[in-house]
Amino acid sequence: MVSVPSAGRVQQHISAIASGFLGDWLEHRGNPLAVPMTVFADGEALDLQNPQPAVPGSVLCLSIHGLMELESVWDFPARPDEHYGTHLANTLGDTSALKLRFNTGRPIYRNGQDLAALLERLVSNWPVPVKRIVLIGHSMGGLLIRSACHYGAANDHRWVSLNPDCVYIGSPHDGSWLAVGAHKAAGWLNRVPRDYLKVVGEVIDLRSEGIRNLSRGDAFEPGTSDQPLLHGARHYVISGLLAKGERHPVNVLFGDALVHQSSARGDRREGWELAGIANFPGVDHIRLAHHPLVSQQLQEWLA
Amino acid sequence: MKGPDNNTQWWLGVTELVAQGMHHGAVKLKRVHLSIADESFRVLDVIPATRPGSRLVRVCHHGIARVSYDSVSLAGRVIAEGAASAGARLAMRRQDMTET
Repeated sequence: MVSVPSAGRVQQHISAIASGFLGDWLEHRGNPLAVPMTVFADGEALDLQNPQPAVPGSVLCLSIHGLMELESVWDFPARPDEHYGTHLANTLGDTSALKLRFNTGRPIYRNGQDLAALLERLVSNWPVPVKRIVLIGHSMGGLLIRSACHYGAANDHRWVSLNPDCVYIGSPHDGSWLAVGAHKAAGWLNRVPRDYLKVVGEVIDLRSEGIRNLSRGDAFEPGTSDQPLLHGARHYVISGLLAKGERHPVNVLFGDALVHQSSARGDRREGWELAGIANFPGVDHIRLAHHPLVSQQLQEWLA
Repeated sequence: MKGPDNNTQWWLGVTELVAQGMHHGAVKLKRVHLSIADESFRVLDVIPATRPGSRLVRVCHHGIARVSYDSVSLAGRVIAEGAASAGARLAMRRQDMTET
């Protein structure tokens, strides 16, 4: 039987894609296609002032999607109620598996500031005392975690003192080759003395701030120096590769399709102490968000 | 999306986005069209036999193209602003209903 997505689901996907491309502009215009930041538990949006999940646990596991994605990217194919969070919840017990949805076209630092404030409210209003936080970010979601940790620490948020576990899955800490390519192509086309080529450059330049941030992995406010990983927290990195052979030329050129292995590890960042690094050759960028091997790795690290 | 008003707002948002695309797209297409046409007119302009005729054709061509693209662009802008203001009114009405 073929599953047909509902009209509501299609609308949500269109909103997510539009937000990824033009999210900052949509927000500025007050356009309802701009996706608001929302936390979901068991598919239901939570009221942050009074969160009432079916079974509140003392461990919060929040999964954060990437550019133009929805929280459904975490669901295992043909098993829509299963994702890394629910797998961890089954193993750890007393855990609430949550998912975040947000406007991926906004600057990452602004989403990071909002996520830090959201976590503070969530922890303060959670029905039972929160003992542990696990943050799992796919692609841009990983940069959001770094940003939220920085702003949470800067504002003395209580959730930061819980020393969260931060997992970065296919996150372009040093930038994505595709975003870098778009940036360079737009720059080159804008310099060409032909109006029809300049127009192409201008169209590429229409991309959102969120996409622009991915060209260098910018997670903090402009003018802020590079910030270290949150001290006291445990940081884990997972990367994927298109081809199974690690040194395959396709992997050297494209990494997991969008992010190179070195960028996912943050090789250019100084002073990073990672609690765990794992690489999965043959698993591409999108499948990193719902792959049994990745789930197994998370269980080993976090359970 | 839940509720008929939310759905209407969403469609108004899509309308605004598409109409803005029409508004900006027409301006950009006009530039592409005119600049590509200018490549040909430049060639015709260096040939003495075609120069006078091509200059006249260029003025007519560019004039008609400008009017056409600008009309589409203006229509896009009007539709976009209309959709945006209708969406804002609907959002305010929903807020009022929530407060009361």
